[in-house]
Amino acid sequence: MTPARRATIEFLLDNLVWLMLIVVLIVFSLTVPRFFQFGIFANIIEQSTFVGVMAIGLAIVIISGNLDLSVESTAALAAMVTGLLFATQGIGLGIALEPAWLILPVSLAIAMLVGAAVGMANGFFVVRLGMSAFIVTLASFIWVRGLVVAISGGRSAQSLPAAIRVVGTADILGLPLLAWISVGCFVLFSFIMAKTPFGRYVTLVGGNLEATYRAGINSNRILFVSFVLAGLLAGVAGWLLAIRTSGATANLGVGMLFNAFAAVVIGGVSLKGGIGKLPGVYAGVLLLYSIHTAINLMGLPAHYTQMILGALVLAAVLLDTLKLRLREKLL
Amino acid sequence: MSENPPLLKLEAISKNFGAIEALKGVDMEIRAGEVVALLGDNGAGKSTLVKIISGGLRPSSGRIIMEGTPRDFASPAEAKAAGIETVYQDLSLCINADVVANFFMGREITKRFFGIPILQERAMEAVVAKALADAGTRIPSLRTNVEHLSGGQRQAIELNRFVHWGGKLVLLDEPFAALGVEQTRRGLDMIRQVVARGIGVVIITHIMAQAFQVADRIIVIRHGRVAGDVRTDETTPEQVIDMITGGTLSGAGKGRDQGNSSPATGERESSQ
Ligand SMILES: Nc1ncnc2c1ncn2[C@@H]1O[C@H](COP(=O)(O)OP(=O)(O)OP(=O)(O)O)[C@@H](O)[C@H]1O
Ligand SMILES: [Mg+2]
Repeated sequence: MTPARRATIEFLLDNLVWLMLIVVLIVFSLTVPRFFQFGIFANIIEQSTFVGVMAIGLAIVIISGNLDLSVESTAALAAMVTGLLFATQGIGLGIALEPAWLILPVSLAIAMLVGAAVGMANGFFVVRLGMSAFIVTLASFIWVRGLVVAISGGRSAQSLPAAIRVVGTADILGLPLLAWISVGCFVLFSFIMAKTPFGRYVTLVGGNLEATYRAGINSNRILFVSFVLAGLLAGVAGWLLAIRTSGATANLGVGMLFNAFAAVVIGGVSLKGGIGKLPGVYAGVLLLYSIHTAINLMGLPAHYTQMILGALVLAAVLLDTLKLRLREKLL
Repeated sequence: MSENPPLLKLEAISKNFGAIEALKGVDMEIRAGEVVALLGDNGAGKSTLVKIISGGLRPSSGRIIMEGTPRDFASPAEAKAAGIETVYQDLSLCINADVVANFFMGREITKRFFGIPILQERAMEAVVAKALADAGTRIPSLRTNVEHLSGGQRQAIELNRFVHWGGKLVLLDEPFAALGVEQTRRGLDMIRQVVARGIGVVIITHIMAQAFQVADRIIVIRHGRVAGDVRTDETTPEQVIDMITGGTLSGAGKGRDQGNSSPATGERESSQ
């Protein structure tokens, strides 16, 4: 086989999920009435924001060879803290800042801090104490949600001030600001993962922890920082969610974990660790929400979505196995 | 015998794994520009000794003295910083990454933009291409993941790594186990090349001919102790086998006449 042809095949295999996304979009555009509109596409990108931002952190942890089941609850906690501090109705304390726009960076910083704190707790138990990531983050999934219910008393906070709600309502060049934010996050973290030593080390550590340790890389730090990043990004996702819904309820974000996981797996990240790229994850998120949207437009009951998504995750894993075989045959 | 302290000196190194005494007080010296072959049967403690020198394991007792200064390496990173390069028995490559990423693992070339280090892929690829070409290693593409390479190609990457990075002391734990005849010859050449640069080399091997071909000195480890420490040109493979086995195989014993020692040659039969 010529090197050029091999490179082409490699490229196609690496970007299979983008190919799938394009095919799915074309099929929906041709078959689903009212699907082919700019507004629909903009809406898909906007809806992808929350799970998308969360999926970035989840993907980084999984590539580093671990797992984080707590991101959904972490996002809910960050959202609830934002609502509790700054919302003006319900349980919101309605803290006002002078000048008013200051609420934007302050609330974001608090949400990130809350998320990073949960990530640090996870990282401490998994990396320092050597406990299983599955158990530790499952526990966090439960206790963090419990904390959300506890601090809210099961009630909700409503009405965030206008200074912060612009993030959820503004448009830039016809696209919602929220869409730009998720695209920006993916571009930033794709760059970090592909071009900086930290990103390189996340992949190497996920591939062979022992080898990186022997090579003098502080592998524990890489694992720890991955957890912190996952928490921090979950915090950002929760902050965006609070802004979008202008407040927070105790059960905000339930079900996001499954969507984030599905997107990560569909996006080509291997649960074994060491394999996967963030642009693929973004394509996975977009694919997920294209299907959600198409199902909505067709007026199918919501539970069909779950069945289709479940099947899609299975298909993605199957595809991963097939890709490996194909590679072995071709290369 | 010389004014300079030895490159590396081990004093009464011992290591216990629970009840198992893998090393029971090992003393040895390695000088700069010298090749020492570490021989011994399976389970003798060779790899454990190498891991202690390279910072992967802490000794239970004893001292490591490098160039006259006592050192206590808490991690491979510290040993590496002190100039100790290691090729481990079980290879340490990340097969999910490409050749360039593996070659530079932990020492990437970066350039800072606004304080953020950015990987310089082109520069790194050029260095790897040159290092592999110099060593005569052929790998189809430096951007293929290591999982697609053969066992010999993988080992070659590790060997080229130490030749390139050098340092002061190189530890090789059965480095040629997966290599063919021609690649092994190249590997031995590489060792001579680094020694000529004044680097000390410790090589573990089970193949007697290799030890006699490349080493200045042979140290035999038996049941966690040094059972022999001889110059290669003052001993014979038979004597070394006796040291390894405790003199039970040839029945000749250690004290055999030292006078008939013959210069080391490569054509002797190997021990296995
Ligand atoms: N991590 C460990 N835990 C317990 N025992 C160990 C450990 N590492 C090594 N040992 C034991 O220490 C002894 C020496 O092992 P080592 O690997 O150093 O032998 P070796 O000389 O390198 O053998 P080989 O030629 O087979 O590579 C063996 O009895 C081994 O079982
Ligand atoms: Mg060994």
